[in-house]
Amino acid sequence: MNPDLDLALERIIRAPRATVWRAWTDPSRLERWWVPAPSRCRVDRLDLRPGGAFVARLSDGGAEFVPHLDACFLAVDELERIVFTNAIDSAWRPASPAPVAMTATITLNDHPDGTDYRIVVRHGDPEARAHHEKLGFAEGWGTVTAQLAALTEGGQ
Amino acid sequence: MAQYSAQLDGVFVALADPTRRAVVRRLGHGPTSVGDLAREFPMTLPSFMKHVRTLESNGLIRTVKSGRVRTCVLNRERLALVDDWLAEQRRIWEARTDRLEQFVTDPEENQ
Repeated sequence: MNPDLDLALERIIRAPRATVWRAWTDPSRLERWWVPAPSRCRVDRLDLRPGGAFVARLSDGGAEFVPHLDACFLAVDELERIVFTNAIDSAWRPASPAPVAMTATITLNDHPDGTDYRIVVRHGDPEARAHHEKLGFAEGWGTVTAQLAALTEGGQ
Repeated sequence: MAQYSAQLDGVFVALADPTRRAVVRRLGHGPTSVGDLAREFPMTLPSFMKHVRTLESNGLIRTVKSGRVRTCVLNRERLALVDDWLAEQRRIWEARTDRLEQFVTDPEENQ
């Protein structure tokens, strides 16, 4: 974990592990909670195996469905763990996803109250993308953020 | 999310240049006229104005004209986009987990 780039969430969900797993692995169920209403999600591909595709589209306000996620599963352990990344797309082509490349690890464990549900999302350095686009950041991301923080605190 | 991402891209573009970062830092201390700003940078006024326009079109600053003086003002909200980037990702995943939790604990959904 890099605290500047990664995030971790932990939640006890009061539902059986199999129910949580099914909500994640059944496309028609996943569509129900993946994006906030009124946006709608359509899961086009959910190939739950290492190297399998995870492709979803999004519709805002009744507009047509536009690309939302074109990702690839890295690890799928029945009832236990799902790992996917958008750093390569569903065709295994290296991608430069917006806003940033990430690998998400979802872990499920039994808990007396239901399911111990944990997420770790590891992000690529946003600066790497800037470099990729030949924007040529002269300074590191941390420096820029520190400057911005100093600046926003130092203003009126 | 796509709109947010486009905005963030714009902020990155705007901040990818040392002159523009210096202008942003300078405006952090308060609104300044284009003339005063330009004097601090070793370049022609037209070159400097290009940087100002880039900052303005990406929403990092806004300019206000009063008589013959154009003043630049920092848009702190847009800057916060960068500072808040990780917080925004966290918010997305927190909200997503909230929705998952609601979904799997709804008896009607899980007959």
